[in-house]
Amino acid sequence: MQQQKGSGSEVEVTWEDQLNINKFGRLNNRFHELEDDIKIAKENNDNLEDASNELILSEEDIVRFQIGEVFVHLPREEVESRLENMKEDAIKELEKLEEEKESVLSQMAELKKILYGKFKDSINLEED
Amino acid sequence: MASASTSSSSGNPAERRGIPAASFVEDVQTYLIQSGFDANSALAFLQERLQQYKIAEMKLLAQQRDLQAKIPDIEKCLGIVSTIQAKKGTGEDLIADFEVSEGIYSRARIEDSNSVCLWLGANVMLEYSCEEANELLKKNLENAKASLEVLIADLQFLRDQVTITQVTTARVYNWDVHQRRIKQTT
Repeated sequence: MQQQKGSGSEVEVTWEDQLNINKFGRLNNRFHELEDDIKIAKENNDNLEDASNELILSEEDIVRFQIGEVFVHLPREEVESRLENMKEDAIKELEKLEEEKESVLSQMAELKKILYGKFKDSINLEED
Repeated sequence: MASASTSSSSGNPAERRGIPAASFVEDVQTYLIQSGFDANSALAFLQERLQQYKIAEMKLLAQQRDLQAKIPDIEKCLGIVSTIQAKKGTGEDLIADFEVSEGIYSRARIEDSNSVCLWLGANVMLEYSCEEANELLKKNLENAKASLEVLIADLQFLRDQVTITQVTTARVYNWDVHQRRIKQTT
């Protein structure tokens, strides 16, 4: 995010403006963090989906399931239910992240309106 | 370092955990008169402040990375302990494949056991009952998460100070340009 001010601009910056600019900066940072987190969460979801499919295709009764650093031998049903739980958690996590991203984006849009309204060309709130 | 006296801004602490807060400048002219700076030395001072903030930020980011790596590790340990606890009383042994060396795995039989050994660091490993191990690991996890929260708040505070300093820099610069323009036209 760049902040440039036009040369010789007369518009005064109040503490409230500074707080808004700070808030925009924080939201922008959070937005980028969320994008990274969402990417990881999507990969996680995909991996769990793949694991589920592999499990269905395989016919073994004992499945090697990773816990910590080792692969524990577990009966098929237990692996199925563990995977189901993991998938549910992963989907909820992804939804939570997407929701937060929407909220951050709309707060940023609000602040843009306020800041551009007051400073017009003197401020730049776009990505490089 | 000349301390600039500006009107106090509500809600911005003077410093946080060793990081000095950036004073908000109400009016550039007043700021320069009160601090005794001219435009150039003010800009130099602000640049130096930005450098200090940058160094502080690198430190905090490194700490954050460490904490963020620690948390999943603790969660994995908790997973294993609960698996061992679940097997207790069934009379069955836990069979697991583990990595002996990169790419080479072997099979282990973990017998019904009431205790686990926890690596505490510094070449120290202690044996704990499963319940105690759970307690310890949960406490470690909570501490790590709490530290991470404080760290993230520190980083946010730091970034706010950087933003304030950047805006002040721009305003001092613009004020200077404006002054020069006025001088040229008179």
